[in-house]
Amino acid sequence: MQIKVTREWCESKARLEAGAEIGAGIIAADPIIGHVDERDHATEESHQAFRRFVELRRRSLGVSIEKLAEQADVDVGELLNIESDAHFLPETRTLYQLSQVFGVSHQKLMGLSGLTQPKDVSYVKEAVRYAAKSGSIEELTPEEQAALDGLISVLSEK
Amino acid sequence: MNQTSFDRSRIFLVKTEINALVEAELWDAITDKNLADWEAEWRPETEKLLKELNREGIETGLWPQSRHWDWRAKTVEIQERITNQCFSVVCENQTQAMMITELTHRAKIESQKNAHLVYVEFLEAAPWNRSELIARPTRFGGCGSILVKAAIEYSIAEGFEGRIGLHSLPQANDFYGNKLKMTDLGADSRYQNLRYFEMTQEQAKRFISEEH
Repeated sequence: MQIKVTREWCESKARLEAGAEIGAGIIAADPIIGHVDERDHATEESHQAFRRFVELRRRSLGVSIEKLAEQADVDVGELLNIESDAHFLPETRTLYQLSQVFGVSHQKLMGLSGLTQPKDVSYVKEAVRYAAKSGSIEELTPEEQAALDGLISVLSEK
Repeated sequence: MNQTSFDRSRIFLVKTEINALVEAELWDAITDKNLADWEAEWRPETEKLLKELNREGIETGLWPQSRHWDWRAKTVEIQERITNQCFSVVCENQTQAMMITELTHRAKIESQKNAHLVYVEFLEAAPWNRSELIARPTRFGGCGSILVKAAIEYSIAEGFEGRIGLHSLPQANDFYGNKLKMTDLGADSRYQNLRYFEMTQEQAKRFISEEH
């Protein structure tokens, strides 16, 4: 496909553009491009499992949200949203930083969070199962610890 | 991704250093050459920029929002799809901007609701063509307008009468809303609350018109 354009048009538009930012597209580094219906397939359960994992792992480390934000060098507001808002989509960098602190696979964490659509969803299903086994009380119960151990095992590099 | 067969169109960009037009090319493809430029030139330059932003104490929320984009992965993913069309702007033998479009989205503006349009899936300028938050001269100006024109011409060629749509990165809202005067349909909760902009047939016609 060829286009025809004059010097005058190009100059006029370039002067108008004047170094403006022009980026367009979703912020996530997800290489899987799909239209809206495919994005809707990222399940509520997967998001919940992700939230649950972040909360459990943080509590197992014995740190507050603020302290974790400091350790992972991420925004504390974003961490609050991750743990409290089921529909919140975290930044790619935040997931990378958390994966380093938590000692799990960055790619798998992205898949669980819904930021990417993993080609192999088996680990997501396993993670959802482990997350569903944990309740929400302050200290980790033995069951929560067992669920967390399972989540870490599923999300670790293989 | 080889793509030896593609069309080149003669275009012009403003070279900031001399404040004058220079000849460039619009390719209707993203080739190995473009991806090599992205890996060897764009990424190191982006890293330098991020270090500079970090040194200046700019909070990460204001850093370039496309900094994690992987153009090689994106193009590998779409290369089998006939609903995707790529474009790149090349000047002085370097890739200055790239764009991926696709055809499955439908219009949202009430007057053209559900009509077919060309959707700009990703669009990015080379880091040296972006002024970002640290005031510095860019190398070439006009890439965004050229790519938007390409999307409009593609829309016309597909029978969609020039209609286009895109989700703007927050730092580009001014360009699409105020400079290009696209219709702003507001934050889209299905796309990370990015603002969705759309052009009608009339807006597209005005934009590509040679009367300015």
